[in-house]
Amino acid sequence: MNQEAASQKSVTSSSLHDHRPAERSPLMTWIGWVVSKLARGLSLLIGSSFIIYTVLRSAPGDMVDLILGLNGTPEMKADLRAEFGLDLSLVEGYLGWASRALTGDLGISITFMPGEPVLELAGPAFLVTLGIAIVSLFMSIAVAYGLAIFLGPPRPRQTLLLGPIQLLNAAPSFVVAICLAKLINELIQFQLAGGGQIPPSWYPIPTYQRLSDSIAPFVFAALSISLGDGLFTDLFNALRSELNNLSNSLFINAVRAKGASVRPHLVKNLIVPTLSIFTARLPLVLSAVVIVEYIFTLDGSGYLLLQAAKNRDVPVVVGVSLFFILAVIVMNLILDLVKALVDPREVAKGE
Amino acid sequence: MSDHTTSVVDVRDLVIEFDTPRGRSRVVDEVSFSVSPGEVLGILGESGSGKTMSTQALLGLIDGYPGVMGGQIDLTFQGERHSLLSELPHFLFEKRGQLEKQERGWRKHRFKAMASLWGRGATAIFQNPRRSLDPLMTVGQQVLESITAREAHKPDDTKLNKEAQSIEALEWLERVKMVNPKRVFGSYPHELSGGMCQRAMIAVALACKPSVLIADEPTTGLDATVRAQVVHLLQDLIRDERCAMLYITHDIREMLYLADRVIVMRHGKVLERVSTEDLKDRSSERHPYTRTLLEAAGMIGGDNE
Amino acid sequence: MSKIKVSKIKVIKIWRASSLSFQLSSLVVFAVFLCGLVNPLISYDPVLDVDLSRRDLAPSLSFVMGTDGQGRSVGLRLLKGVEAFFFPGLIAGFFAALIGGGLGAICGYLGGWVGRSIAAILELIDTLPRMVFLVLICTIYPPSILLIAMISCLLFIPSIATVVRRKVESLGAEDYILAHVAHGFHPLKIISYHILWLQCRALLTRQLIFVFSYVLFIETALSYLGDYGVQEPYPSWGNMVAQSRISVAAWPWAIPAVAIIVTIAALLAFGDGIARRDEEVKR
Repeated sequence: MNQEAASQKSVTSSSLHDHRPAERSPLMTWIGWVVSKLARGLSLLIGSSFIIYTVLRSAPGDMVDLILGLNGTPEMKADLRAEFGLDLSLVEGYLGWASRALTGDLGISITFMPGEPVLELAGPAFLVTLGIAIVSLFMSIAVAYGLAIFLGPPRPRQTLLLGPIQLLNAAPSFVVAICLAKLINELIQFQLAGGGQIPPSWYPIPTYQRLSDSIAPFVFAALSISLGDGLFTDLFNALRSELNNLSNSLFINAVRAKGASVRPHLVKNLIVPTLSIFTARLPLVLSAVVIVEYIFTLDGSGYLLLQAAKNRDVPVVVGVSLFFILAVIVMNLILDLVKALVDPREVAKGE
Repeated sequence: MSDHTTSVVDVRDLVIEFDTPRGRSRVVDEVSFSVSPGEVLGILGESGSGKTMSTQALLGLIDGYPGVMGGQIDLTFQGERHSLLSELPHFLFEKRGQLEKQERGWRKHRFKAMASLWGRGATAIFQNPRRSLDPLMTVGQQVLESITAREAHKPDDTKLNKEAQSIEALEWLERVKMVNPKRVFGSYPHELSGGMCQRAMIAVALACKPSVLIADEPTTGLDATVRAQVVHLLQDLIRDERCAMLYITHDIREMLYLADRVIVMRHGKVLERVSTEDLKDRSSERHPYTRTLLEAAGMIGGDNE
Repeated sequence: MSKIKVSKIKVIKIWRASSLSFQLSSLVVFAVFLCGLVNPLISYDPVLDVDLSRRDLAPSLSFVMGTDGQGRSVGLRLLKGVEAFFFPGLIAGFFAALIGGGLGAICGYLGGWVGRSIAAILELIDTLPRMVFLVLICTIYPPSILLIAMISCLLFIPSIATVVRRKVESLGAEDYILAHVAHGFHPLKIISYHILWLQCRALLTRQLIFVFSYVLFIETALSYLGDYGVQEPYPSWGNMVAQSRISVAAWPWAIPAVAIIVTIAALLAFGDGIARRDEEVKR
């Protein structure tokens, strides 16, 4: 009887203790979150382009002489001065330059491809670069994920087996790329040894030109990036420890205890840490693309950047750099958005 | 003790060991207990007494090497008796004078063996309600998942359809006394208070319609007022569902309130088995450790007045 | 005398207690440091070393690592190539750890708008893709390895500061730091001694080693490209790897490539080992 009364009491008292903080409607929270993320991205873009402009302005000596060399006509010099706003103050010059850049006017190439608008050079090239970066990220994640699941929780005897993977952590992507290029050269040479023309072994390009328009160099570039610079090792280690923590976690045990399938919970909970690694690694991957494109002579913006830099073509170098920075910021925004769609806590804490 | 043939859970001589930097340590040492249908068995003990481990073994959820090393666990479910540890000796072998276990094989075996028992046979609610719900799934979906998992075992013609399942999930949220069940249904765990999370967890666990529920210190992380609610709620629902319960706690008051029988554990051993009525009786003889616990809770005076 | 003996025993004890990977990596790191330190004493004339009569010799007793397409000793060039990254790397690592650690500690300790604005500027630098920014700088300024080291130092300050800031923020909640504040210690002393020196020592050492390995990486990468780093005929591990374009034999480029991988791996493992050891000691 006494117990009945107690339980009756609990019914009434339960409503008193359901405190929840006053909150805005979910839609408003979402809009607020998206706006704050966009504002952050925009301020990063403004800040980093300002850094680039400041670097330009701080060039030793007269920058116009530096860019044009000795063969510039006075008109060209005046044009360039106007283009970069060199006669104005730092802030005014930046505003003029940035507003022109916003409308797509990044100037024209001077020495590398004289007369070509930078946008038309850098734009298409950047698509190749972005393609390599994304493909290599996904290649890396697919293999790392597969291997982590295959190997399961860490056990002592695997240390020896995993040695090579940990050594990959230290292999720069350009070294991996060179080794891959050499290897492919050897393989293709070997196949052709029976007859036909043997391509010179000293440089990978001729081989690829023979396999013209093939996807091979693209794939190998992506492969060397996904293996090099510790990208694969980082992803693999992180995924493995995350998988291990998750499969021993309380809520996964709770899911097991109720007799439901664990896999969907595991997959969903792995997405957020994976995306966080993507975000952290993205600038590094884009950096690696620059040099790997050069090795495989892919017509991407990394190759363009290095060729233009070799010719001291400042407008092209600046234009390509802006593309890289824009890509980092936009991709981060997209990754944040996906993260927020998967994990509602991201929106809740991002306020 | 209760009759073996009618008990839902029957644990005999359970041994659990773990490897520590200081060598092998036995955290559960030949523990036996049994639970009859609809009965609430309380396991009382301080932290580290092995009370949690002995119940985790029942669910086959012990991580860490080597884990369960001996004994027998029988789970009766829908009139059928399942021996969980009958295959265990095949996975044990001796190495340098010490008993070792083939961990990977055993893990596979025990997950396979438990697959049909989890949920309908035995299920659990844990100490930390916030961490025992999937953070990326709404509470409603998680209750629904229990129901779907339960229905999956039924023959096709008796299965509930999707709509009926979501209605039942909502009903469960009402039954655990959520104020606004519809809103809670679409909420994520981080949007709820600790007490609400634990009530949602009770809904998730009981929606499986288990024959035995293991409640592992379900009130430890909660405020005093919320604690009382959770205890009352558990008592009501257990009685309605005619489900047996293993209630683990170090709080002797909760124990006296909920349990029919109590076993007292310390250092991995059962010190005393006693009915709740006996425990309430101040004059009866008690094990010194039980006495200390009672004294600490202020249930009896220091000088036994 | 007894002090030396004690420290000797301690070193042996640490050595025995550490893992195999730490032992191996510290040997490699020690060897690279030795090479770097003796480098200024070795005189090497890359032009005089050319001897077309001994081109592409396989590794043998007289040339331990063989010779390249111009008959130059690969082993000697490998040894001399350490110079290209050794001192720049040390300087960049030291200043990155110093400035990054200081800024991170200030950010974490002060908080508020000062901390937030420093953090915002640091985040800005972190957005720049490192390689692209380096190429941009090298286009506008006359490239030199010291400039590259300075820019690498600048590019790594944000990540170091973030690591230190997190550490300081977690420490700030601890009572003994509050107790120091209550005792009236000067904030600078708390930041520099109690936080940075006592708590973040190992962490900063690890970051220093990391920046060093990055300078090694970036120096070899840029020298491989051939326009910004060390120019032929002077040796650098990067332009030795670039021999892969013209070399008939494998060893002139494969040996420096292996050297790069092994050295970076050893540096990373060494840094991790130090950090792990420090954590164990604290526990």
